[in-house]
Amino acid sequence: MATMQNTLSRKLEGFEALSDQDRRALNGLVPRIRQMGPRIDLIREGEEPENVHLILDGFACRYKVLPDGQRQVMAFLVPGDFCDLNVFILDQMDHNIGTISQCQVVDIPRASIDAITAHHPMITRALWWCALVDEAILREWLVNIGGRPPNQRIAHLICELLLRLEAVGHVRDNSFPFPFTQTDLADTMGLSNVHVNRSIRELKSLGFITVQHRVLTIHDPDRLKAYCKFTPNYLHLRNARWQGRRMVPWVDSARRG
Amino acid sequence: MVERNNVETLVVLQPIAVDTASPDREGRLVIANGLLVAVLVRLDAPEHEMPGFWFLEAAFGRLQGSNAPPFAELEDATQWLRRRLRR
Repeated sequence: MATMQNTLSRKLEGFEALSDQDRRALNGLVPRIRQMGPRIDLIREGEEPENVHLILDGFACRYKVLPDGQRQVMAFLVPGDFCDLNVFILDQMDHNIGTISQCQVVDIPRASIDAITAHHPMITRALWWCALVDEAILREWLVNIGGRPPNQRIAHLICELLLRLEAVGHVRDNSFPFPFTQTDLADTMGLSNVHVNRSIRELKSLGFITVQHRVLTIHDPDRLKAYCKFTPNYLHLRNARWQGRRMVPWVDSARRG
Repeated sequence: MVERNNVETLVVLQPIAVDTASPDREGRLVIANGLLVAVLVRLDAPEHEMPGFWFLEAAFGRLQGSNAPPFAELEDATQWLRRRLRR
């Protein structure tokens, strides 16, 4: 259970400083932890969201299926990510959430989230942060699909995964788990399998990456970031943010009188 | 209009080398009733999921944006293209 509380507070405290009371409230959550196999839906389009899902371990995605069977993936969910923070208020899912690899998933009842947010404003703010960052990532993905050529598009996704996984301690020597199939990447990047294959081939031959036994290694992250002109601002990670940004000077001077 | 309903589309495949920035370069221009409608490329890079198959590299006009599966034989590709052009 400790893992769940740690993952949750680590995630939230990346955005807002929590008090001891806040932390106690999070520790009071009695969530259900499920071990799920790969390629299993957590919740489907049309269903009523009962719980908020938090990924403890593994990779999941948000996706829709078009009438002709074509799948479009709109988000990758990594450890520490809430799957449906922004949709638990809605009465019906407008997309599917499914695992990509084996996952450890926490179900937090929406009533618990309601209770916590009613009494803990900093937790509420931190949850807002999570939802806003999800949106920011979605915006960047839109830019990525609409604006970058295939090689840079995939390179950009790889840089993003590096930073997001680094933030939750899942990167070692610039290597991280990469359970995605060519089809997963194709359905995510709006490309054909063939084009994904060629792009990955090109990124390998340029010496940027290696993929072995479903582990991706970036040989020189700075070079790869430069190649796809990656700017991490949209991830709003603590180490990528300007620390003093939210200390508004006039508030201080007003306080001093 | 490439096709009138009761007339079979005349499909001609013309060999052409294609620059795909990969080892896949053996291609065919697909010409239907005198109009270029698609370019097929053979998947020769060994990493492909279906090496040796023919991939719809580019498609024009009514075929644009088609998600075609790679084809084992050129004949399969022309059949698929014919069906699409008939719609």
